[in-house]
Parts: sequence; structure tokens; C-alpha cells
Amino acid sequence: MNRPLGCLTGSALIAAILASLTILAAAAASGNAIFSPGELSTGSGEMAVSGVESHSDLGRECAACHPSFWSGERMGDRCVACHGNLAEEIRQGNGLHGGYATTANCRDCHTEHRGREAALTRADMRGFPHERTGYLLWAHPLSGSGGSFLCVDCHPASLQIFEVDSCQGCHLQLDAQYAIQHRADFGPGCVTCHDGVDSYGRDFDHGARGFLLTGGHAELECVFCHSGATTIEALRAAPTECRSCHAADDLHEGRLGESCGDCHTPEGWGDATLDHRVTRFSLSGQHLRVECEACHIDRQWAGIGMSCRACHSQDDRHQDQFAVDCADCHTADGWGDITFSHARSSFPLEGSHASAACADCHPGGRYAETPSTCVGCHAGQDRHHGQFGTDCGACHRTTRWGDWTFDHDLSAFPLTGAHRGASCQSCHSGGRFDGTPSSCASCHNEPASHGSAFGSNCGACHSTSGWRPATFNGPHPFPMSHGGAGGDCSTCHPGSLVEYTCYGCHDRGKMEDKHKEITSNLGSCATCHPGGKEDGD
Amino acid sequence: MLRAKEILLAVVAVVAVTGLYLGVVVAVGVPEARGFLGHSLGVLGFVLMLMTETLYSLRKRALRRPWGTMRSWLQFHIFTGIVGAYLVFLHAGWVFHGLAGVLTLMTAVVVTSGFVGRYIYTAVPRTADGIVLEVGEVQARLAAAQSEMRRLKAGPVAGSVALSSAEMREALRRLGELERQLAAMRWARRLLATWHTIHIPLGMVLFVTAFVHAGAAMYYATLLR
Repeated sequence: MNRPLGCLTGSALIAAILASLTILAAAAASGNAIFSPGELSTGSGEMAVSGVESHSDLGRECAACHPSFWSGERMGDRCVACHGNLAEEIRQGNGLHGGYATTANCRDCHTEHRGREAALTRADMRGFPHERTGYLLWAHPLSGSGGSFLCVDCHPASLQIFEVDSCQGCHLQLDAQYAIQHRADFGPGCVTCHDGVDSYGRDFDHGARGFLLTGGHAELECVFCHSGATTIEALRAAPTECRSCHAADDLHEGRLGESCGDCHTPEGWGDATLDHRVTRFSLSGQHLRVECEACHIDRQWAGIGMSCRACHSQDDRHQDQFAVDCADCHTADGWGDITFSHARSSFPLEGSHASAACADCHPGGRYAETPSTCVGCHAGQDRHHGQFGTDCGACHRTTRWGDWTFDHDLSAFPLTGAHRGASCQSCHSGGRFDGTPSSCASCHNEPASHGSAFGSNCGACHSTSGWRPATFNGPHPFPMSHGGAGGDCSTCHPGSLVEYTCYGCHDRGKMEDKHKEITSNLGSCATCHPGGKEDGD
Repeated sequence: MLRAKEILLAVVAVVAVTGLYLGVVVAVGVPEARGFLGHSLGVLGFVLMLMTETLYSLRKRALRRPWGTMRSWLQFHIFTGIVGAYLVFLHAGWVFHGLAGVLTLMTAVVVTSGFVGRYIYTAVPRTADGIVLEVGEVQARLAAAQSEMRRLKAGPVAGSVALSSAEMREALRRLGELERQLAAMRWARRLLATWHTIHIPLGMVLFVTAFVHAGAAMYYATLLR
């Protein structure tokens, strides 16, 4: 029976060997070109690299792009070995390849062996991070990303080449008038200012750049504020101070400074909303309800005096009586809201003064030059009829008239001794105080016992402590030490100081017996005994 | 049994693959050989072709412990040979360049050779196991078939069951086949031997080329990244 050997027949093995040898020979003869999956591109770049204008010029030099695996090189290394400009882009991180391509990922975007006319870039540019080129495609979404743009719309010649005319081509169609004017204003270099996000169009978020466009600002043409700016730096250098653009609009002529935004908004000049608190004159009370022009007459915003009188001189019911400011007594809530404190005046109100009506002291609304003396108001109430002068306060307090504290010691007749206990009327009868005599005799009649021997100078012998004891130092016609009297007047003068008797000590009977020879004048002992002695001295 | 069932299955598979392929073409374009889908086509086609080359031959050599009939393995050989070759063709992506182009051409040559061989093969009568029958045995079978035909044409007889139209057609087909095999047996056997001498070396050349192609592809496309 015929039993086939299968594929391992002798002829098959011979065929395999011959095939292997043929392939080896062909590979050697073609420089491994037989393994090429397709022809190399004939597309040429802007310039030849080392005499090679296109990859097809490399012919069978497979190693030009395919280094031996033991060489340590990758195919990407071979790419940049020839395309030095791309190596520079990668190194510097700019251009089409900068920040995106490396020598490890060339083949992610590029290919070869697809035929002589085939493109070498097969990248799906929908995934290309275009923002790394410095221009985002937010406003120009690619067709693959839901938009309508193709790469060639902006890069008709090469993806590495961008001509600004590509912008003009579309934007002239969109709005020719605007495009022409915009180009005239800012120049032809679109990408100098625009990066795809900063479209400066309807969707541009000016606020993200630190200057929110609202109100009137939102309606302006860019050039109004960015006049002459042709670069991003110049656009960003546009001043943001109000005055830089609105100096000519300043109706205040600089009087209010340069911070327009403190009062005005971009909605319009008329919508000023000054927070008066930021000024030196914070508004409160009635001031909040008056029109600005009530104080800022003729729209005079600066130089308004901050004193009350600056505005309220005509409102002064006090007719300029007060040199002080209105606010010392009144608040902004109304003239009737008076905060005047008499305590701060030169005449603090105390006692009954505190409850007195203002008009009692200030009749007719007269405040200035109101007398501060007691008599200024109380002259008609002086029960003393001026006897004590005009300084009521010397004796009386402000509580009531009856609350007086006269100090007699301060008078010309300080009260001492028994005088202290005497009633006022005993000396000042009939309420008479002024002219009260200060001599003793004016109040004290000389007693009969004195006869008229001592005169009116009571104080020569008496003190105010009492009539007794009294002191008498002479002159005395008889020795006051006689008989051990020791100054006790009553020893010799038991009844009257102008009479004397010796019989208090000298028995009268004995004296009569002894002076029987004397028949007359026996009672006048001192006539014969002036010195008190027996012998006649 | 449906005649040339493996051909029908292969056509169905080819149509299905073609439908999927056209869908991809419409969606993303012609898949390149170097792409994921292209590589998948190539790898799957290569595996099928490798199965085509080896399994049938191994079965033919596995006489002591046979598994499956020779006819079934031949049908599988033909099925994988057609479908695998088609996948390889699609893998090429309509680009025929260098060794890969030669490989595609070789595939086409071997498949064409296979088709030729298949029809030479069917001209050689064999048992269900595919063993070539001796002429005498064929003649005996032919006589039995002719007797069967006469019995069927005579109509149902007592005790017998009427054949269905399908059984009638199968009997007629088998009869014609045996008559044709008998007539062509001598020259067919010589032609089949000659075809084997050509087809098997072609297959070996194909696979040597395929291995070199795969190795080169892996070297340049993978190792040198």
C-alpha cells in the first residue's frame, strides 16, 4: 500500500533547502531589500539632507534607518541623525515636535514603505496635542473632534509650516470688514496675539486676564484700550487704571483723585455709588437722605468743608451765638436730637440747675453770654437785699436756697465761745446782716454793777466764753492781792464792782470799836488805808 | 452526504471573512499588513496554513493510532487551506512587494495546486478511510450498485421499504462516481503521484518563505523599535 511520507518527503526537504538558499542569496544580493514591505517615499523636504532628497534615494541602505539591534540605536535615533532640525525642535521643546516627539515615538506618527507617493505622516492628528505648539484648537476644532477643520485648512503646504494667510482666507469670508480693520489695527501676525484660546472674540474671557469687561467696557472695540498693541506683551501691558483711558472723562477735573472705580462702575458714569465712609466725612442720619448736590453744590466734589457750618450756616437758629461746631450739640439724625451736655460747658448744671428749664437761664433762646454768676439769674431772689454781695454760692448751694452753709469764721466777726451758740437773730435781728456792729457794747449793755467804771470794752476783761470768769488787770486803786483776795473781785466787791466793803473780812463791829474816834466816813476804809495797811498806807 | 461539503464550508467562511473585511474597509480603510488587524489576519492565516500543511500529513502517517477518518482530515485540510490562504491574501493588504509578495504568490500557487490535487484525488476511489481500492474491489462495488439501481427502478417489492428521492439521488451519484473512478483509475493514480511530487515541495517552499517573512517582520518591526 502506498503510504505517503507527508511533507517530509525527500523532494520537499530539498525544496526547503533550495528555498532557504535562494532567500539568503536574494537577501544578500538586495541588501535585505527583499524584506522591505513596500517602496520608500520619493517625497522631498525643503532641503536635501546629506545629499539625500528623499527616502527613496536611500535605495537599499536599510541600515540608514534600521540599525542593527546590537548597536544600541533605535530607529528614532536614525531619524534625527539626518533630520537635525527635528532633533533641535525636540531639544528646545518648541515647534511641531517640541514637547511631543521623542526618538522613541517617531513611528507613532510617521511611517515608510507605503509606496513612492505615500505620505510619511500617518498620525491621527485628531490626537495631536496642538496646544504644545503654542496654539490651541479650541476655536478651530478638527473634524475628527466634532469640528469642521482639517489640518490642511491651516497647513496647506506642510504641517510644519503655518502661513498667516491661512487665517485671512477664512476670516475675510467670515467678516471682511472686521478682518480688514483688525489687521489694520493690529497688524498681520495673527498668532502673535492669538493662541487659539485667547480668541479675543465672543468667547474670550477677558476677565481671566484680570480685567472683567462689563457694562460699557464690553461694548468697546479692543483697539480702544489696546491701541497700537501688536504683541501679546503689548496687549497685556495695557493699563488698567481708570484714568489711563478716562482722564478726559473726568468731570471732577481730578479733584477726586484717579480711582474712578471707587464710585463708578463700568455700567455708566451716572451710576455712581460712592461709599461716603471711605471719605473723611462718613454719612449718617439725615445726611444719608439728602441729594448729593445738596452738599456738593454745582457738583463741586472736592474742597467741601467738613464743618457743620459749611452747609448749615443758614440753619443756625442760634444766630452764631456758639463758636463751637453744631455737632458738639446736635447729631445728624436731626436738629432735635441734641446731645449737648452742660457738664462740658463752663457752667456744669448741678442740683436744681439740672432740672431747670433751659429758658429759665436762656430766655429768648439766648445762649451766648449767659451770665454764669449767681446774681446773673438770681438777683431778684436775693432776700439779703444785696447785704452779702453777689456771690450767693459763698453760702448757698445749688440744691435749694435753704441749703446754705455760711461760715461766720470767714466773716470779719468769727464766732467763738458763747457766740457760737447764739441764734442768728440774737445778733441779726430783723434779718439784718449787713452792717451788724462788731463791738461788744453794740450787743451787750454794761451791767449796773460796772457802773461806768469799765467803759464799753468788755473784751478787756471778758472773753466770749462767758461773762465769768473775767480778768481784770487794773489799774486798781487798791492792791488786788490784799488780804489774799487772789483776784477774786467778789471778796471786796460782793455787790457791785464800783462799790467795795472791807467788812467781808474785817468784822464791822470790831472795826467800829477800833475806830470809835471816827464818827464819819467810817465806811470808806480806803480813804484812810489806800494801801490796805493799818498805819494808813 | 453532501458532496464537497468542505468547499461549501470554506466558501461560507470566506464570505463571512469578506463581509467583516469590507466592513473594516468602509469604516477605516484597507487594513495594512503592519496594523493590528493586518497582523491578526496574517497570524491566523499562517496558523491555518500551518495546520493545512502538517495535520493531514501527520494523520496520513499515524497508521497505528489513527484518529478520525482520512476523508475528514482531507476535508479539514482543504477547508483550512482555502480559508488560511484567503486570510493571508487579505493580510497582504493588496501590496505585493519583496519577499512578502513572493510569499503571497507562493500561497496562491500552493492553493491552486491543492485545488488541482483535490480533483485528481476524487478521481481515485477509496474507502471511507481513504485507502485506495483495488480495481477488482471497485468492480464488485460497481456491480452491487448497478444491482441496487435495477432494484430501485423496479419499484417497491414486498417486504421492502420505498427509497426516498434523496436516497435515490445519492445512489445514482455514487454509481456514477464509481463508474468514473473505475475509468480514470489507472491514469489518475499516476497523476496523483506526480501531483504529490510537486505539491508537497511547493508547500515546503511556502512555509520556509513564510517563516523567513515572519522572522524578518519581527526583526524589523519589533526588535528594532
